[in-house]
Formats: sequence, C-alpha cells, structure tokens
Amino acid sequence: MTKTSQHPLVEILKERIAIIDGAMGTTIRTYGMTEADIRGERFKDAKKDLLNNGDLFTLTQPKMIGDIHRRFLEAGADILETNTFGATTIAQSEFFVDDPREHGGRKDPDFYQKVIDDPFLKKLAWEINETSAQQCREWADRIGKATGRQRFVAGALGPLTVSLSNSPDANDPGFRSVTFDQVKTAYAEQARALIAGGVDFLLVETIFDSLNAKAALVAIREVFDEDKIELPVMISAAVGRGGETLISAQTTEAFWNAVEHVKPLSVGLNCSLGPDLMYPFLEELSQKANVAVSCYPNAGLPNPLSPTGFNFGPEDMAKYLSDFAKAGLINIAGGCCGNTPEHIAAIAKALEGLPPRKLGEKDAVEVAA
Amino acid sequence: MKPLRLSGSQPFTQQQGVFIMIGERTNVAGSPKFARLIKDGKYEEAVSVARQQVESGANVLDICMDEGMIDGVAAMTRFLLLLASEPEVAKVPFMVDSSNWAVLQAGLKCMQGKGIVNSISLKEGEDAFCNHAATVLKYGAAAVVMAFDENGQAADFADKIRVCERAYRILVDKVGFPAEDIIFDPNILTVATGMEEHNNYAVDFIRATKWIKENLPSAKVSGGVSNISFSFRGNNRVREAMHAAFLYHAINAGLDMGIVNAGMLEVYEEIEPKLKELVEDVLLNRRPDATERLVEFGETLKGEGAVVAEKKEEEWRHGSVEDRLTHALVKGIDNYIEGDTEEARAKLGRPLAVIEGPLMAGMSVVGDLFGAGKMFLPQVVKSARVMKKAVAYLTPFMEEEKAALAAAGHEVKAQGKIVLATVKGDVHDIGKNIVGVVLACNNYEVIDMGVMVPAEKILERAKEVKADIIGLSGLITPSLEEMVHVAREMERQQFKLPLLIGGATTSRAHTAVKIAPHYSEPVVHIVDASRAVPVTTSLLSDENREDFIDQHRAEYEAVRKAHAAPQVKTIPLAEARKRRQPIEWRKVDLPQPEFTGVRVLDDFSLATLRDYIDWTPFFHTWELKGVYPRILDDERQGAQARQLFSEANALLDRIIREKLLKARAVYGLFPAIANGDDVELCGDSARTQPITKLHFLRQQANREGSEPCRSLADFIAPHETGMCDHIGAFAVTTGIGLKEFADSFRAKHDDYNAIMAEALADRLAEAFAECLHKRVRDEWGYGRDENLSPEDLIHEKYRGIRPAPGYPACPDHTEKGTIWHLLDVEAKTGIKLTESYAMWPGSSVSGLYFAHPESRYFTLGKIDREQVADYAERKGMSVAEVERWLAPNLNYDPGR
Repeated sequence: MTKTSQHPLVEILKERIAIIDGAMGTTIRTYGMTEADIRGERFKDAKKDLLNNGDLFTLTQPKMIGDIHRRFLEAGADILETNTFGATTIAQSEFFVDDPREHGGRKDPDFYQKVIDDPFLKKLAWEINETSAQQCREWADRIGKATGRQRFVAGALGPLTVSLSNSPDANDPGFRSVTFDQVKTAYAEQARALIAGGVDFLLVETIFDSLNAKAALVAIREVFDEDKIELPVMISAAVGRGGETLISAQTTEAFWNAVEHVKPLSVGLNCSLGPDLMYPFLEELSQKANVAVSCYPNAGLPNPLSPTGFNFGPEDMAKYLSDFAKAGLINIAGGCCGNTPEHIAAIAKALEGLPPRKLGEKDAVEVAA
Repeated sequence: MKPLRLSGSQPFTQQQGVFIMIGERTNVAGSPKFARLIKDGKYEEAVSVARQQVESGANVLDICMDEGMIDGVAAMTRFLLLLASEPEVAKVPFMVDSSNWAVLQAGLKCMQGKGIVNSISLKEGEDAFCNHAATVLKYGAAAVVMAFDENGQAADFADKIRVCERAYRILVDKVGFPAEDIIFDPNILTVATGMEEHNNYAVDFIRATKWIKENLPSAKVSGGVSNISFSFRGNNRVREAMHAAFLYHAINAGLDMGIVNAGMLEVYEEIEPKLKELVEDVLLNRRPDATERLVEFGETLKGEGAVVAEKKEEEWRHGSVEDRLTHALVKGIDNYIEGDTEEARAKLGRPLAVIEGPLMAGMSVVGDLFGAGKMFLPQVVKSARVMKKAVAYLTPFMEEEKAALAAAGHEVKAQGKIVLATVKGDVHDIGKNIVGVVLACNNYEVIDMGVMVPAEKILERAKEVKADIIGLSGLITPSLEEMVHVAREMERQQFKLPLLIGGATTSRAHTAVKIAPHYSEPVVHIVDASRAVPVTTSLLSDENREDFIDQHRAEYEAVRKAHAAPQVKTIPLAEARKRRQPIEWRKVDLPQPEFTGVRVLDDFSLATLRDYIDWTPFFHTWELKGVYPRILDDERQGAQARQLFSEANALLDRIIREKLLKARAVYGLFPAIANGDDVELCGDSARTQPITKLHFLRQQANREGSEPCRSLADFIAPHETGMCDHIGAFAVTTGIGLKEFADSFRAKHDDYNAIMAEALADRLAEAFAECLHKRVRDEWGYGRDENLSPEDLIHEKYRGIRPAPGYPACPDHTEKGTIWHLLDVEAKTGIKLTESYAMWPGSSVSGLYFAHPESRYFTLGKIDREQVADYAERKGMSVAEVERWLAPNLNYDPGR
C-alpha cells in the first residue's frame, strides 16, 4: 500500500491548506504561441496540427514552460503539476497517427495495439514525461531553496480520448475501441517516465471515466511493485452538474468507494464545473473520504471574450475557494482551466491562515449504532 | 463492525440489520433461461434479466458464465460492458462469479465501481490464495472467500471455522486485505438427502456464521441459499419454504447477504404452520425422522400441486373485503385489487374511507412485518405497488367527488404542491408513501420523487414545479445527516419553503437541534402520517401561517434550550480545579461501613419494593401530566388517572402474586481516595491495594461569582487528609421476565397491558434503587437514625447521593463499564451493557454512592477542549472517542 504517512506534505496538510498550481493550457494561450512555435525544428514536418498538443511545448519551448512553472511557484503554489496531461502513447496518437475513420475504418483494439507498440509514440511519450518531470523538479527545488519553503512535483496522468466505459458505436453498446490492458500499459509507461524524471507524487486527474482511472491506478500499483518503489498517489475526478463523472456517470461517493483501496494521499475534484457549482459534491466527498481533499476547479465556465477563455477572475476564485476553506472542506486548493498565476496568487493569499479540513484518524464511514 | 461499502455508478453501503440481496438470475448455473440467452448470443435479452433483478430489489447482481459451452472470459467481458451502458443496471455493484480465475480477472477489468469477486479460496494453497487476494485488492474489489482449503470443502462446523479463521488471518495479516471486504461463504450444503451425515449441514452453516461474526472482526458472511433445498428440486413450495426459514435463522445468526431470487421470496410468517414445522425440523436437525416426514408431506403438496395452490387462493378469497385487501397487500397480489377496492368503496361509501380504512390498515401490517425483519424489501415494494393500484383505481372517484363539490358551488383548488423524497442513501419509504397518500387524499398535489434522492435533485425539482413545501423521509441513522445536508443546501440556495422531516429515526429534538438551525425557514418534524395534514394546512394557510410558525419556532427554541445550550463562557480547567467544592474534612463525617466488598440480593421481594414506588413519572409515561397523588383528584384528568392507577395496581398485584418479574441487585462499598478528578478504589482500608479508578468531570461553565466548580471527586476525601473514606456502587434490575410477560400481551394484541407491564417494571427498578440506597445507608452506619417516610425518601431528604453514569453529574456512559467490572454485574444480575452502554433489560438502574453530608447532585454542563483532552488522557481513550460520548457536553464543535 502507498505509504503516505511519513511524507512531508502530510505534515503540511495538517497545518494548512496546501496550494496546487493553475492551468498550463490556458496560461500558454496568454503567451500568443503559434503553430510554428510548438513545432520548432523537431516537429516541423508533422502532418497534423499540433498547437493543441500543449505537452509538446515542454520539448519545443522549455523556456516558456519554465517561466510558467516559476510564476506559479512565485504565486505561492506548493505543488507543481507536470505538463503531461496527454503524454501517453494513446493520447499522442491523436496528433501523430492517421485516423482510420477518415478512410472508412474505425478505431478499435487492433488500432490501439499498434499505437501502444509504436516505437515513435513510446519514445515521445517517455521523453515528454521525463523531461517535464525534470523541469518541474528543477524549478520546484530552485524556488523552494530561494524561499526556504519546500515545493513538490506531482506527475500528472490525465484522461484519454478513449473510454473504457462507453461505446463509440451507438449500434453496439458492448463495443469498446480500446481494452483495459492497453490503457493500463499506456499509463504504466507514463508513470515510469514520470518517476524517472523525479516527481514526488503521481496525480491521476481530471477523471471523466472511472474505469480509465482504475486502469491508471492498477498500472501505478504494478509499476510500484515491479520497480520496488512507492510514491504517494493523488486522485482527482471531474464531475458534471449531477456530481457524476462526466463520461462514466459515477457519483462522487461511488467513485470514492471504488478508489479508497489505493489509500491515496488525497482525493478531490477538479476541472469541469466551476467552483460555484462544485460545493455539494465537494461537501459529500469531504464527508465520506478519510484522506486529504483537494479542489482545483476551472475558473468558471468558458468565456471566449475573456483573455484566459474563462469567466472568473482571480478575486472570484479566491472568494469561492476561501468559502470552501471556511466550510472546512479542503486540504489542497488551486485551479484548473482558466487559472493563471494571478489566480493562484489570489487564491493562496485568500487561504492564508485559514485552517485546513480536519484530518482525523477516524474512519468517516463507520456504521452509526 | 465496519459496513461493506461497494459501488456501481451509485454507492452502496451496507446498513446494519438489513440483509443484502444478491440477484441470482444472471447466473448461468442458476437460471436455465439466462444460460440459453447467453448461449444463443441474445445478450440484449440477457441484459433485461439483469434489469428485472434490479427492479425487484437486488442490491448486487451475481454474474456467472461458468458453463461448458460458454467462453467465460469473452461472455463475462461482453455482458459486463453491456451492463455498463445500461444506466438502471450500472448503478448497482456487480459480483463476478466464477471458479475460473481468468474469468474473474476479466470481470475485474470491466467494473468502474467497487464490486465483489466470487470467489477465492485456499483450495490451491496459500501462495495462489495470496496472489489472487492481492490482485482483487489491486483492482479495488471485495472478495467472497469459500470455506475450502487444500483438503477440500469444509462441511462441518469445526472445519468451516478453522478454514475461515486461517483465511482471515492470511488476508488481514499477510495480504493487508481490508477485513470489512472479506465475505466468507462457509458453504450452504444440501440437507435432507437421506444421508445421515448431511442432516446437520444447515445447523453447521448457521453456527459457523455466528462464530465468524463473533470472532473475525468486520468479516461478512454470504451464501448461495438455493443449494440448501436441492434435494427437493421440482417441489417449489417446499423449496421456497425452506429458503425462507433458512434465511430467517441464518440472518438471525448474522448472515449479511445471500444469493437469492430477489423477486421470489416467501415470507417467513406466511409459511403454512405445518410446513414450517416440518421444514424447521429438517433445517435445525430437530428429529431423526425429519427428512422422511418432510418428503412425505412434500409429496402430498406435489400431488395436489396446482390444486392446492388454487384451493388456497380460493380460501383467502372467502374472507371479508377488508381481510382480502390486507391479504393482497401483505402478499403483494394485485390480481383482484380493483374488484376488492370497488367492493370496499361500495361498502364504505367514499373513496377516501377505503384508503384511510382497510388500505392503510393493510399497509401498517406490512410496516410491522418489515420492521420485525419478517418481510424483505422487494416484498414491501410489491405491497406498495398493490397499494398504488388501489389508490389509482380510487383517484377518478375522488376527482368526481371534487367536481361534484365544485358544481355544488364549493370552491375546490389544489391546496399546494408538496415534493416528497426519501433522502439519498435510504430506501425506506412506507411512511413517506402513507404520508403522500394522506396528503393527496386531502387535496394536495404530491410529487413523490421516490427513494435515494440526492439533495440537488430534490431542490431542482422543487424549483421546477414551484413546490410549496418539501418533505424528507428517512429511516436509518445516517439519513439524519443527509437531512442536515439538504437543509444546508436549501439555505445556501436561498429557498423560501418550509421543510418537513419524517421517518422512524427522526425526532422533534433532532429536527430542532440539528436540522432547523441550518435553515431559516420553518423545519417541522412530522411524528406520523396523521400529523402531516394539519401541519401542512397550517403552513399553507393565509390566516394561520404566522401563528403556527411563531408557535413552532418558540417550541423548537425551547427544545433547543433544553437540549443544547449555546456556547457559553468556560473557566480554564486549572482554575476550575482550584474552585472545587470546599469541604472541611472531619472524621465524624466519614462513617466506617459495616462491610466492604460486594453483596448480591437475588429475588428481592417485589411487595417491599411496591412501597418505594414514585408514581408521578408513571403518569407521565401515559401522558397525564401532574403530581401523584394530587393527579387522582385532578379536575380534568382525575377520572382517567384513577382508572389507570387502579388497573396498574391490579396488574402489579398479579405480578407480585405470580412472581412474574424478578428483582436482582448487586452492590458494593470500597475504601476510596480522591486523586484530582479521579477516585481510586482500594481493596483494603489502608488503601494500598488499588482495584480500579473512577473518572469524573468538573463543571467549567456558567459558574457565577464564587459558585464552586464541582466534580463528584470532590465528595471523597483526598489523599492529603489522611482520612479513610468510602464510595459505593450498585446495579439493580426488575426487568427479568419482563419481555416474556409483555410479549404474552402483545401476542394477544393487547398493547395496552404490554406497555403497562413495561411502565411498571421501570417504576419497580427505580423503587429498588431507592430501597437499596436506604439499606446501604443503614449498612454504612449513618442512615440508621434517619427515620424518613417513603415520601421523604422520594423527595431525597436523606444524606448522600447516588448519581448514575450517563446522567447530569457524570454524563459519560462508559463509566458504567467500570462499575460492571468492579461488581461483576452481568454475572451476578444478568444485566448486560450494549455497545452504547445501555442496560439490558431496560428496567435497570445503576450508579454510585457518595455519603458525605456535603455531597449533592449537580449538572456538569459544558466543558472545553482542554478538559476533554485531559479526560481522554486519564481514561486512556482517544479524544475523538471522548468527544463522541460527551457530544452534548462539548462547548465546541469537534468537527472544526
């Protein structure tokens, strides 16, 4: 089992609310990068557009990415997320592999078997993960040393563009384009590369599909067992207006029941809903889960007129998250899509001095007598 | 016990005392129909079998593809993936069932929630077992563990428990498997096979179940029930009776769950008595010829088969229309419901009279049987369905009545819209249904959202339909928290509607103290269906609304004051200790008792106790408020009080004459020294051999001026005085035999006398405590010359006190544990302590004796964190545990 009790972050979480950084993708937007910028020399001949493949900036624009990491740390983030949201063979295949659907075919387990066996994709995925982890490590240690406050790196394992819970074929609800073992393999490689790059924890995040997440968690366990290493694991789901995971429609408490065995360092909600709609589900999770609770919502709903593309400014986010803190619901706070370093700075300031959600030894779910 | 928690797309948490039903129809081994569908590749139809199981109330679905002609891995995968796309089915957890490990692994890869693997065992040795268990854990599932080892299947009790204990130790100690996720299947094996060595199989299973529940903490027990009756295949009446009877006994022994046909369960109470006796003879192995007798009787049933069933049907059809309606509701038979409802309507004249009369009566029978664990949820759901059909039949007539009223010039308008729901996590809705029916019958528009409804759905709907009132129902304890959650959400979303709270565990006090403070609008507790209409009417009436709400708020405010004073100013513990009750210690105030140690009084004379009865509380039990004996002459209640008093005394005469209750007591006196807020008890008067320690708390709040901060420890001489003081402890009961006596009345439906007997036993117990205290004062020496009348005793005009743990001066119930240990109460009197430190039988009293002339009763009141931490340290408990026991006394919110 994941040993989390001795981890220095655990001590911090007892004392105060720890801050996790904001969004990479929407912050990159503010740098005005172009297709040519993301391609650089290395990917100049790629057949598909790459601008939405933000993880690649780690390799082609390390300076900008480093700048963003630095700004988040200076804004007060304790935890930096690696820029590896889509750094799996399966997710990268969207940008580098011909889509069989354009030629009358379909994406099915045969297609994905080729993807996860593809040497180019494997190498690329590994490189993004390892490099990003190293970059984060460097910045976290540098700013940590400069400020005398230890910073941490969370290796991010994001969602995929394929689902283990849903069929893409309306006529065959039993069909899946990918298998559990394939997803597990892709995640295992990502986890290994992140560990090799020196992350402090693994963060399975923005979970739309609980079965995909389960594949990631099983993969992580197997990597730990095979490589004789053990890092804390953090888990964060993306829920919709009914409090259900966006694709597999699992309610928050059901989700917690399904992942509790991992004994994660934290469990929480991120992305999708803005903080204004998240309250009831966060409260539910906070009551049921006997580990730290994290929350890093989007900055409200998408708004094309705003510079970050999202509705809420730094002060809005600061207000919502401090409301959560005052209600005693959270141990880790930050932002997802639409949250820039300014947002994180406002959040960090607003949460300063507010007590964290109480972390007891009590089992929150004992049957009432 | 930690409950089993599972999930599909919805969470599932085991509720204490509620049997988990695992649907068996999606098992190719158990259902030929399902097997055929899978073999023919008709997966969509197979999915509908799963859906039916969920609709008939299965909590978990057992899915098994073990059949020679089926590719298990492929079939399991495909079927589970299909179920994942079926929202109504995907909400429940799945149990993947196979003897093939590869199939189980395939199943694990298809479940997004926390399911169950059925099964793993020691069959292939410890290594394979550990390996399989670790994999199950890695995927986050619970596991069924068969009582099977390298030597084969454990058949008898000794083998079952040996194998289960070994498996448990390996899982918990070696694999790190959560104990609450271990579900033992100690093998339900077929009885009545004609082989003598099989006769005890059912008994062995039931005993093993009990043993596992008592000895392997948090482990669960399950079983495949239909196996028990395998030798009667083809004879469904016998089989169903066997299943019902077996489940009844196994559940009593602690069986948590079983694989059953969720739609077809006979009600234990409804098994024909002759058949039940024969079946239980077989199951409980009560006579050597049990099998022959059941086989013989079974043959006659089989011979007559259909005829008997038809005849039986005929029989109940001959009863009165009221009886027929009740029978139909209890049995969930809807074939005749419309005809019978019409007949009742013709007989009673008005549609509403049918609902309020025979239909509600029938539903209350259902409620009672369910409450007593003699009916299962699916059966109750069926009953409700019949009820709904009857109401549906009557609705047009009620509309007609309304139209006629309107035509006659009476104004008829819907009085208001009410959204009703059983809150998330709770499935009980009989009460809510009845409330819904009653409200609808009174012209309210009821939007019943059903059971397990999350807060946001309730509130969304209320907004959508512009509801006037929201009503929440719940039966289990955790629902109380969920109701608080709904109230908070209503406040946060700035709702302006009244909120009604109802259901078995809810109470006015809980509503007032825990729910109402979270919501600015009225939150009203509804005691029963009969209260729903007047409350609703008042809340929605233009004229009465204000008055009602004012009165309601005042009433709840009073309840809150009584239950939980708001945060008060406390004095720091160190200062409070300095302000202990000042006592000038003098030898003359510390009489030496004539004995120390423990004494027992067995079968004490009830006639003696009678003189010590304080009758005033007796009248309160019956809601006659006044003081005895004046109440007998009370202008308004006098006649009623006199009748009650004479009937009570008649019954008391009988109790004493026929020795129907037994009074027992144990008490002891011990040399004692106060040490801070603790009192140390010793075995010798030199006070060198400590036996145990009593822990007390000290007042910290509302200590005006120089008022002392008392602790019971203040009344015992501290060490530095050098004087030899004593303390006493006691426990008395007059409840031995009470349950049988009260039940004998209930069996005759005489609830009046049953309650009377219980009320009298309670009075006798208090009387015994008073009587024993007198005796102790005499034996202690200082009481011999007190010369007080019984009335003076009731008014406690004597020296010394007998405070009880759990009461205001020492509110910690767990101190009873110390008394039990000290006096060996359970062995000497039979009074047991429950896990919440309640005394059983209920008609019992326990406490401590303090003799100092300055000792007095007081109320501890609120204490602060510091004292809680100090107390926890002294008691060797965690702070959280102390906070739980002392919740009402905390001057802070331990959650923050």
